[in-house]
Amino acid sequence: MPVYGASLLSISLGLAVLTIFLLVFFLRRDDDRFFFVAQRTSLSVCFLVTLATVTLLASLVKGDFDVDYVARYTSLGTPTLYKFTAIWAGQSGSLLFWLFILCCYSAVVLLQNRNRHEKLMPYVIMTLAVVQTFFLLLVNFVANPFSPVEANFPVHDGLGLNPLLQNPTMAIHPPMLYLGYVGFSVPFAFAIAALFTRQLDAVWVRSIRRWTLFTWLALGLGILLGGWWAYNELGWGGYWAWDPVENASFMPWLTGTAFIHSIIIQEKKNMLKVWNMILIFVTFVLCIFGTFLTRSGIVSSVHSFTASSLGPMFLTFVFLILVVSIYLLLTRLDDLKTERRLESFISRESGFLFNNVIFVSICFAVLWGTMFPIVSEAVTGTQITVGAPFFNQITIPIGLILLFLAGIGPLLAWRRTSKESLIRNFSIPVLTGLGTVVVVMGFGVRAVYPLVTVFLTAFVTATVVLEFWRGVTVRTRKFGENPFIALLKMISKNRSRYGGYIVHMGIVFMFVGFIGKAFDKDKEWSMLVGDEVHIAGYDIVLTDLNEEERPNHFAWIATLDVVKEGKDVVSLHPEKRIYFHRNPNPDRRQPHSELSLYSTWREDVYSVFGGIDQDKELLTIKIMVNRLVRFVWLGSYLLLFGTVISLWPSRGFVKGA
Amino acid sequence: MIVAVALLMIVWVGLGIEGNELPYVTIRELTTNYEKKPGKRFRLGGNVKEGSILHNEDDLLALSFVLMQEGNQLPVSYHKIVPDMFKDGSEVVVEGIYDGEYFHADNLMTKCASRYEGDLRDTETSL
Repeated sequence: MPVYGASLLSISLGLAVLTIFLLVFFLRRDDDRFFFVAQRTSLSVCFLVTLATVTLLASLVKGDFDVDYVARYTSLGTPTLYKFTAIWAGQSGSLLFWLFILCCYSAVVLLQNRNRHEKLMPYVIMTLAVVQTFFLLLVNFVANPFSPVEANFPVHDGLGLNPLLQNPTMAIHPPMLYLGYVGFSVPFAFAIAALFTRQLDAVWVRSIRRWTLFTWLALGLGILLGGWWAYNELGWGGYWAWDPVENASFMPWLTGTAFIHSIIIQEKKNMLKVWNMILIFVTFVLCIFGTFLTRSGIVSSVHSFTASSLGPMFLTFVFLILVVSIYLLLTRLDDLKTERRLESFISRESGFLFNNVIFVSICFAVLWGTMFPIVSEAVTGTQITVGAPFFNQITIPIGLILLFLAGIGPLLAWRRTSKESLIRNFSIPVLTGLGTVVVVMGFGVRAVYPLVTVFLTAFVTATVVLEFWRGVTVRTRKFGENPFIALLKMISKNRSRYGGYIVHMGIVFMFVGFIGKAFDKDKEWSMLVGDEVHIAGYDIVLTDLNEEERPNHFAWIATLDVVKEGKDVVSLHPEKRIYFHRNPNPDRRQPHSELSLYSTWREDVYSVFGGIDQDKELLTIKIMVNRLVRFVWLGSYLLLFGTVISLWPSRGFVKGA
Repeated sequence: MIVAVALLMIVWVGLGIEGNELPYVTIRELTTNYEKKPGKRFRLGGNVKEGSILHNEDDLLALSFVLMQEGNQLPVSYHKIVPDMFKDGSEVVVEGIYDGEYFHADNLMTKCASRYEGDLRDTETSL
């Protein structure tokens, strides 16, 4: 079986290279037959890679332990779902998976556009083929998922997947991220095509709008799922740690968000053409770079892993992309320059431009902080890391400026906003903001950042609500519609815009959740059954300690009764589990803390069973009171909902537009 | 305008780095250089020496162990709940302050569950 898989990968590599050559011939000789064949070889690559992926999946599910990858990441005892998800658990499998998604996307792009964009498509297919070739080179020669296991004894069972990863969220988070990372190849390919063909107006931008939105959503959801998993499974009580690998996914998301906004300007006003090119190049490079950073171990991170020759190959690829992109950009600069200038600083165009500048600035700050250890090591010989305090200190103020821009964006007119219109539109949101601040101060909040954030979140909420309100009242007055119907119709007629506002509201709620972080409390204790502890107004008693033997692990279960102001709130049951507890080798037994949490809109009470001294029946318990966390998850749902609305096809929908 | 923002960002980021540096050092570098900046936080990586994990009798939270790296050893004290993967031989990263004798860690991390190929013994990372 693995032999077929490996052969499929070799053939695919050959076909991908062939596709590139065929397209080059087509472009030089203008003989349609070359293009005809190239399209088919490209689709064949997609088909064969899919077959290879299926072959690997089959080996994983069947338990072909003479394949090294299967032996490392599955075992006889692994539940079937996680045998499937093992495909992205390790280096070579995940590279194949990346390639597989790229092929799926490429096939869709090819088929969707088989009767359109005749000038662009050859270059689009060629660019995608080049990226495919790179990954095919990796899986064929550097990290082959079908390599046989290196053992001089027959292998009958595998190492199995770490129990920490056997969680439904871990079944979705990596593929979601990959859908995002890989997806930016498509807008990138179109950008390259536009440069080659000098078709530099809004055509290429309009054709990739939906793709970009979809891929941006996937990346964003992937990031949020990672945060959700960390919070609910890992037990350190947070959802974001500014770890290099987290940052690697965040950076392309930042520039991707900037890109989504600035292509609106190019579509509507034919401006920012050079900027858009640069943005998509940077985003794509960051996606490749992010893929590389996760695997190369060049930065000290709790997620990072060392690798073989992967590092230099990725860097070479990135270098190539940069060289080609910059060359194309410079030689087409004249075609890209626009006569239109920014007419006023108080216009929607400039609002979008500031928004872009801010996103890129945050990205720069995150990049610098993430790469600083490498730079410092090169210069001083010591790897100097900068942790969460640096990132928080730098990005929070800039993030708040961004929030402000989200609020004023809808209030600014295209080209130029008059003073009267500014005052008229600003007054209600500003007053709402100030009012909310006063109320919050009444609760005793005095810290600056939280108060500023409160003002801004209220401000932006007010502008968004006003936008919806204005739109609805215009319809009810004009058509006499019932407000609810008016709302639905209004959104339906301008999905991009109102979907966007809903996404902004999602971001607002997330910021509300971030405010909560300033007020979190946590403490740890060594406890015996019967002990009582206090935190943030809660009285918590350890009332019981039980043991339970379960199918694949052993568990100690603590019962914590949580009381507030004399009233029972909840009973929490954090557990300490040992997986593979029957394994004669003590090193193979895996301890795991299963946290127990109680969530309300105001705060989460979060309990962790740290450790146990069995002889003394002494436990270590950590309790955290995390404020407003639920708003972060609420915000995530709105982000998803809003983007789906923006993506939703409308009647008279031209396929793929 | 873009140039102005760029300069501003460089200054802003530079200031941030200044106040938040955390050098990632080897045990040898730490023990020979720490007097220069007492109270400065450092970050180290290494493995837990087998059999070196000790708990305080009455306070399960207070523990100490010995960090090993490149043949050097460093006694570490830590007063919080340890990560699940923490045991003899595990690969860890600690952050904290060295007082000349003990390393007082305020942060202790173990490597993440998912692994890509390659041996993680070598903490001096390079391409």
